Amino acid sequence: MLNSRRLILAHFWLAFAVFGVALVLGAWQMFIRSPLHTWISDPEWYYRSLTAHGTVMGYVFPTLIAMGFGYAISESSLKQPLIGRRWAWAGFGLILVGAVTAMVPVSLGRASVLYTFYPPLIGSAFYYIGVVLVVVGSWIWVALMSINLRIWKGNNPDTPVPLAMFANVAGAYLWAWTAVGAALELLFQILPVALGLKSTIDAGLARVFFSWTLHAIVYFWLMPTYIAYYTIVPRAIGGKLYSDTMGRIAFVLFLVVAMPIGIHHAFADPQVGAGFKFIHSAFTAMVALPTLLTVFTICASVEIAGRLRGGRGPLGWIAALPWNNPIMLATAFSFVLLGFGGAGGLINMSYQLDTTIHNTQWITGHFHLIFGGAIVIMYFAIAYDLWPHLTGRTFDSFRLMRLQLWLWFVGMIITTFPWHYVGILGMPRRMAYFDYTDPALASEAMSVTMSALGGFILLISGALFILILIRGQRSPAMEAEEYRFSMAVHPPASVPVALNSYGLWLALMIGLTVTNYGFPIAQLALRQGTSVPAVYIGAQ
Amino acid sequence: MSEHPTDHAATAIRAEKNWATIAVLIIAFLAGMAAFAGIHQATMPQARVETADPTTLHLSGEFVESNLGSALEPDGSVTVRAIGQQYSFTPQCILIPTDTTINIRATSADVIHGLLIQGTTVNTMLVPGYISVQSARFRKPGEYLMPCQEYCSFGHEGMWGKVKVIDKSEFMAMASKQERLSCVK
Amino acid sequence: MPTERLFSTANRWFRLSVGITAALVILTALGGFILLPYAQSDLKVAGLWDAICSAAGIPKLTSSASSVQPTFKTSDVIMTSAMLANPSSESIGRGATLAQQCAICHGPTGVSRADSPNLAGQYPAVIFKQLKDFKSGARTNAVMSPFAPHLTDQDMVDLAVYYHYLPRLPAYHPTQKIPAPRIVINGAPMRGIAPCGSCHGGLDNKTGSPWLEGQSAAYMKAQLRAFADGARRNDISQQMRNIARAMTAEEIEEAANYYASQPPDEYSAAR
Repeated sequence: MLNSRRLILAHFWLAFAVFGVALVLGAWQMFIRSPLHTWISDPEWYYRSLTAHGTVMGYVFPTLIAMGFGYAISESSLKQPLIGRRWAWAGFGLILVGAVTAMVPVSLGRASVLYTFYPPLIGSAFYYIGVVLVVVGSWIWVALMSINLRIWKGNNPDTPVPLAMFANVAGAYLWAWTAVGAALELLFQILPVALGLKSTIDAGLARVFFSWTLHAIVYFWLMPTYIAYYTIVPRAIGGKLYSDTMGRIAFVLFLVVAMPIGIHHAFADPQVGAGFKFIHSAFTAMVALPTLLTVFTICASVEIAGRLRGGRGPLGWIAALPWNNPIMLATAFSFVLLGFGGAGGLINMSYQLDTTIHNTQWITGHFHLIFGGAIVIMYFAIAYDLWPHLTGRTFDSFRLMRLQLWLWFVGMIITTFPWHYVGILGMPRRMAYFDYTDPALASEAMSVTMSALGGFILLISGALFILILIRGQRSPAMEAEEYRFSMAVHPPASVPVALNSYGLWLALMIGLTVTNYGFPIAQLALRQGTSVPAVYIGAQ
Repeated sequence: MSEHPTDHAATAIRAEKNWATIAVLIIAFLAGMAAFAGIHQATMPQARVETADPTTLHLSGEFVESNLGSALEPDGSVTVRAIGQQYSFTPQCILIPTDTTINIRATSADVIHGLLIQGTTVNTMLVPGYISVQSARFRKPGEYLMPCQEYCSFGHEGMWGKVKVIDKSEFMAMASKQERLSCVK
Repeated sequence: MPTERLFSTANRWFRLSVGITAALVILTALGGFILLPYAQSDLKVAGLWDAICSAAGIPKLTSSASSVQPTFKTSDVIMTSAMLANPSSESIGRGATLAQQCAICHGPTGVSRADSPNLAGQYPAVIFKQLKDFKSGARTNAVMSPFAPHLTDQDMVDLAVYYHYLPRLPAYHPTQKIPAPRIVINGAPMRGIAPCGSCHGGLDNKTGSPWLEGQSAAYMKAQLRAFADGARRNDISQQMRNIARAMTAEEIEEAANYYASQPPDEYSAAR
């Protein structure tokens, strides 16, 4: 049951439109700072572009995907028309208005502070207000998801919540709580300074608030991807989900451990005590658990599909998989990229290894591999899977889709692997140009050039993706069958209340936030004399 | 699959549990390795939080310009004091002896900067209001680049310092003549 | 579905999840607050409470180790972005009166006929800081040094906001506009030189840095050379000496000539 198709399509279209724009900026940045181009005559343009790219890719694009996909999941898995559709449109409107409000000062060069804000650099207040509006718009979605599930539960007291919806609402709650860190930073620290009400700001506290959001936001980006792994992939390749319970456990684990680990972004910060760095490092290790569980369950589910299709032997089932199916291909690519990205993540989480690569190009390579690679490739898969149901039209070309996915996969590897390498060499991130003629940097030139070429491959793939979606809206109409999610091998007749509700996990999430963040934040907030003068950007 | 559904379900759960145990063991192993390396190798997080007012660094205290650079301590270690500011480090070239415990103490005079010595594990944020402390040891003489690794506004790409590691005896000879050393020409 | 109670010790999920979480918190806290501080060789722990406090991030007072004091006078001005932000018209008026004694060198309209700096439309923080430094002796100049001792802090504020209030006029000797040399727009990263424009306008302004368009080339060259050879040392924490020392004679020439050739109008129009 997909009643709110216009709403969902609007979210996806806006998401992919801003994605396309940000992708062009990203490719331009790769090119401009590579040896293929001479030094840009105004380095501020680079930082301007970088701010726009990061803001769109980090805050606007994945949020819209999670929202659009969330509405689709709510309607189709609960088989219940979306309650509060007008509110949903209002949320969409807020995101649109927020994105425009933020991007106007950015494009005028009045807010080139990068998407991480990092005070005491302060840009135009409209930039921050725009970001706040985007977040507020997404909170409407959080509330709607919660309300829709609650009403459904009231009507279906004896049925387990479908896994897709269970995961979707877990993602919504995760986002609601993780966005609080940046929201506090923006509302209580940055905006008063940007509006001229105050002239000093505690930069150390701002970094801790931001770390609250900065890590868990990755798991919010990841949620649609994981939901697709569990509830789309097995069905799309003709198999069944190995375990419904394991899926639930993975999602509630994300809820609990994604949040209280963010200080690993502040390993090299002087304002956080070593004890809290240790605690966050240890908890960061925990967040690998839901991913490892997922890897097992999804591989097992895929094996089921392979064997149902006649695959035999320990590895024969792999050959029997439907490799012509774009969803299969996307999943395989996503897993490979997730594997490499996860391995890099293990290095970042260790204090000792992190000192070698902290804030080098390794870090940018890492999150592009995880987000741009493992996560976004499944956003493509979600769109390919949902599109016929949203448009009521057939997709004609699987070949084009496979080409697009291959290009993205190869492009992502060519972009990010050399990127990691120059990071190990100590190349700092976020610089508009580098002097490759210097003998100490000459060895980086080749790798940066490769990354830039990879960026162009990604650009081609992104353009192809948009083209496929446009063609999908123009192809002949078809009778859209009901959109459904994967069945488990052993569908749960009943589920323990702990895995059918969120109370326990939300309590643990908030409890761990208090233990892991409470003291550092309280201490920094109450400490006198560490506020420093704001440095306004672009203010002459 | 339909013959003994309960058996299959039990098998599935057993396999899951085995895998979950393996996953927990992998994680415990990794965390244990990190903790072991942390305790038995030199790189440790900064032990104490220290504060400094960025607007008055030049008036008094350890970050006045005549006190910046490398200082030989009575215990034989060397303390390096440095400032990051838009858009340079002071001193611009840091002089370091080989085979000596180096304690770097640095802070920012304005916005957030980073201090990274390429090819080493020296890598710390400079947050205005706080002093960053990190220790290091260099074995071979040579020159290293020291870029700022965090965006600090429009001149960030020009913020590169240098580190020069010289032989310990040479450094000690210089230290006997001058209290604060650097390789700024 | 059976109505089992979730928040109850009878519920296995509740017991396990809360138990494991609490155990992890306690275990990692023991590791982070007790084991780690004692394992840190560079931390001299004065007992358990000190170990816990240091690991929790309670700040310590900065070390009282004696620091080497400068042998010369350094600037003692505290620069912030908020300084002199909202001048009163009274202050500007007083500044106008005081400025009469400055006009002989800096021109009645704040634009110099000699090679003194043009002050019309200059940032107030810049003028204020230089006056303070002349008074304290951090900066010396045969002409300026005798004037400064008679100025009070309020006089300096008044002068600074008055000159800031004056419109930016073209210099008296504008040469033909020169295209921006590389040192101005790109700097020289490997020598630690950021683009001149990232502090002195064009790209951005750093508090305390003057905008330079239309200033006398001879004056700017002299100042750059003075920064480079250490004759001028009133820049806080060497921020300008670091740059000037690394510049070549040719770059100094190019940068000074470029800024001298730029009209201030275009500069303000660009913003």
